[in-house]
Amino acid sequence: MADTLIDAPASRQALAAAHAPETSWRESATGYLFLAPWLIGFFGLTLGPALVSLYLSFTDYDLLSNPRWVGAANYVRIATSDPKFSAAMHVTFLYVVLSVPLKLAFALLVAMMLNRGLRGLPLYRAIFYLPSLIGASVAVSVLWRQVFAGDGLLNQALKLVGIHGPSWISNPDTALYTLVALAVWQFGSPMIIFLAGLRQIPKDVYEAAEIDGASRSQQFWRITLPLLTPVLFFNVVVQTIDAFKAFTPAFIISGGTGGPIDATLFYTLYLYQEAFAYFRMGYASALAWVLVVIIAVFTALSFLSSRYWVHYDG
Amino acid sequence: MSGFALSRRSLIAAGIGGATLAGLGGLPAAARDLRLRMFWWGAKERAERTDKVNQLYLSSHPDMTIASETLGWTDYWARLATQTAGRNAPDVLQMDYRYIFEYARRGALLPLDAYVPKALNLTDFSPAAVDSGKVDGKIYGVSLGLNSTAMVYDKGLIQTLGLKEPVWNMTWSEIGDLAAEVTKAAKRDGFTGMEDGGGNEPLLEVWLAQRGKSLYTAEGKVGYDDKDMTEWLAFWTDMRKRGASAAPDVQALDRGEIDSNLLSLGKVAMTFAHSNQLVGFQAINKSKLGLSTFPDGGQGAKPGQYLKPAMMWSVSAQSKQAEAAVQLVSYFIADTEAGKLLGVERGVPASSAVRNVVTPTLDDLGRAMVDYISLISDKVGALPPPPPRGAGEIQSVLRRVNEQVGFGRLTPADGAKQFVTEASAVLARG
Amino acid sequence: MVDLGTSDEISPPRDGRRHALLYHVVLCLASIAMLYPLLWMLASSFKPDSDIFGDASLWPRHFSLAAYWRGWSGLQVTFGKFFLNSLVVSLCSVVGNVMSCSLAAYAFARLKFRGQKFWFALMLGTLMLPYHVTLIPQYILFLNLDWVDTFLPLIVPKFLAVDAFFIFLLVQFFRSIPRELDEAAMIDGCGPWRIYWIVILPLSIPALATAAIFTFIWTWDDFFGPLIYLNDMNSYTVQLGLRSFVDSTGKSDWGALFAMSTLTLLPLFVFFLFFQRLLIDGIATMG
Repeated sequence: MADTLIDAPASRQALAAAHAPETSWRESATGYLFLAPWLIGFFGLTLGPALVSLYLSFTDYDLLSNPRWVGAANYVRIATSDPKFSAAMHVTFLYVVLSVPLKLAFALLVAMMLNRGLRGLPLYRAIFYLPSLIGASVAVSVLWRQVFAGDGLLNQALKLVGIHGPSWISNPDTALYTLVALAVWQFGSPMIIFLAGLRQIPKDVYEAAEIDGASRSQQFWRITLPLLTPVLFFNVVVQTIDAFKAFTPAFIISGGTGGPIDATLFYTLYLYQEAFAYFRMGYASALAWVLVVIIAVFTALSFLSSRYWVHYDG
Repeated sequence: MSGFALSRRSLIAAGIGGATLAGLGGLPAAARDLRLRMFWWGAKERAERTDKVNQLYLSSHPDMTIASETLGWTDYWARLATQTAGRNAPDVLQMDYRYIFEYARRGALLPLDAYVPKALNLTDFSPAAVDSGKVDGKIYGVSLGLNSTAMVYDKGLIQTLGLKEPVWNMTWSEIGDLAAEVTKAAKRDGFTGMEDGGGNEPLLEVWLAQRGKSLYTAEGKVGYDDKDMTEWLAFWTDMRKRGASAAPDVQALDRGEIDSNLLSLGKVAMTFAHSNQLVGFQAINKSKLGLSTFPDGGQGAKPGQYLKPAMMWSVSAQSKQAEAAVQLVSYFIADTEAGKLLGVERGVPASSAVRNVVTPTLDDLGRAMVDYISLISDKVGALPPPPPRGAGEIQSVLRRVNEQVGFGRLTPADGAKQFVTEASAVLARG
Repeated sequence: MVDLGTSDEISPPRDGRRHALLYHVVLCLASIAMLYPLLWMLASSFKPDSDIFGDASLWPRHFSLAAYWRGWSGLQVTFGKFFLNSLVVSLCSVVGNVMSCSLAAYAFARLKFRGQKFWFALMLGTLMLPYHVTLIPQYILFLNLDWVDTFLPLIVPKFLAVDAFFIFLLVQFFRSIPRELDEAAMIDGCGPWRIYWIVILPLSIPALATAAIFTFIWTWDDFFGPLIYLNDMNSYTVQLGLRSFVDSTGKSDWGALFAMSTLTLLPLFVFFLFFQRLLIDGIATMG
């Protein structure tokens, strides 16, 4: 089988000839068969509820009585007279812009360090992943307060070097950064994905480069990074979508208030408040769809740009 | 060829998968005559007590089962709203004074007037206690415990410092003075005598009532004006300046829960809460705690506090066993054996008969709560006008405006104007 | 022959001892910083409740296991039952997710069919909608199917590839597998199913292991789904059980919460340790 890998333009042509146009129907059928579970799930579980929520976004729905049609009123309010919407958008955008690059940078850095084959590798790998395991448990809110409050661990450490830090977690100017820190602390997931991607790069490519005299840095920029681009693209898109939709960190750390002074009012937290605290599910649905559009635009742009910097081997 | 094999294989897999899934779905419940679902918020102790009462009730009603669910406060409302929206609400549910208006007015709760007095025994309730569960004149909730606003303070610390403990007739400025003294005497970094109460809506409500105003008018508008709010915000600004109340970045640690309250965090000696939370506070505070009233309005002031239900039982309007549900509710609040099992964990029993039986069995903390309710019974006023639709949001507006004033982003006068405008907008939106 | 690296420990770093030491120091310091909050939680699980918030040190002044007992058997249902429930839900989710998502990903990455780009865009679209708004309609749907208060609403969607994240992940991995391998298999007479089974899947073990790990951990940590679909305390999962220790309006049992939180990390840790070998160890050599 090995010899057929190396160079087979002739056999490729033969293949192309074998797959005449009428087999595209057959291919389509196979494609749809493989896709069947997803299609069932999509139509049965996702599309219906999504359409209902779209309908609800044009209503005034308080969860306890029936929805009442109000047309585009919710959207008009979002666009023109909702200061909390602007605050939430601002906070969320800032969070995305700060946390995603930092998180991915750490993830890639640590993944590369761990890929080098040091002793104790599995242990380090597990240690760096541990924070991600704790997820969004209630305990995290207490932990974060213990670290970032005015008399918290961070300030105690800073005192040792003579810096008098503010109360990071309860000061509106710095509260968001504690949430960014929380996101970055849990960089384990993209790190694992980077590791898997790094591991899929064949060793002999590196060996060949070494033989050719390439330096470590050249190896990184010329080999690692390009071959890693599919995984990097994935991580960028997914982490950004997740960051836009982030809810639990703000919920548990601010106690659902989004404070102080709306400094941690993530968009989905605002949405949750409207839906479950103030019984305005119709408005919350409108907020959700606005978010979908924003995320969709960003994702489309990413995909369009991916043509220029993502290399697939296949 | 491979396509055909694929579909056959996946059919078999689907069949096996389906059977497994059906099994995972669980065995169907054995058929019973009557099954009531009961849902409340609380922690372990409340669950234990409630289950004991249920067991006792079932011993005389063997043809019934009671399926009970319990969650913490935040999760409770999320699940209840979801269940109600899905028309799957529990038969008996625990209600809160703030939420009952929202639920009752939207038709989610059953009016209970028709069941009094036969199925629902309210004979030993004071009229005020019965009224506290009414919305628009009809009974939607039955009080599970009398409660009122109360100052919870660190008795141990204040005594150690040799200072006066707060008492019921100390006015706002006297309490402020005391707090400033505590701060000075304690000499602890980041510690102040009392918390910053500017963003505390129940506290504001008491202060407004003392001046003859209220949070809302009967017509559903805000019951205060710019002048009131300026005075309020200025008072707290002054308190912060004097070091009597907590700095804004300390106050912001308070997320409205007992465990993040500044008293529990060891940052203040006095906090403004509710009397039935004494047990919860004492559990995580090493020092001995005491109860006192909110500051007094001074000469010529009207009563500020009122007795409100700590929590209530309500019956869902969707319930298919309304009669049985109401009887269960009645058992909880009127039966003395049930009352003994419940203790004062949910508040001081509203029924005087139950109260008399329960009080001798209480420990120190429980007795402190009962004594407090007795102390204020002759000092409280009537129930204020009920919150209009959407009023729930105003609490967070107040909190945020107070933070803005505290962090120096608004003057008290500007903050007052902004608060009144925003609160009016919230009420107008409904 | 393609040798894709099969061991954790590669030959000693070429930089020599000093660099290795430097790496270890950096990694150690970083580890401590990463772990400190968790170590605090572990320490708190051994302290009495009144000490937890007052005392910031890592070493408990009064060491006690009481919180573990309270946490385990203190609620109406022993915590062990919650573990069991979580295990069932998570393991079933892993199986369902890996199966259905790899099927869908193969379709998107390797097969051609009409409307492919359209479905792919829709699939990505499902990633973008916040779950709070589809919550109520989905709840009503499951209510009508009579699945509420069972594990079904939590597991069945996994068999229907509802988690677009994993489809997307596997698509990216599949696309980076050289097409020559497919074509070689085709020449040998393999149809799409055999290619999927014999070529793609074995080469994607790191990606599949990743998907398995993430699915397990995320379903283990999920609480909103269980919150609204599991009413009976006997069927609570671990996260729901943890939240039962905390009631913000009354008495919470923080020691028990921390104790049980520590315990719930253990299966995750074990699952991760076990699967990470697959992540690294394993790609079958071709032949």
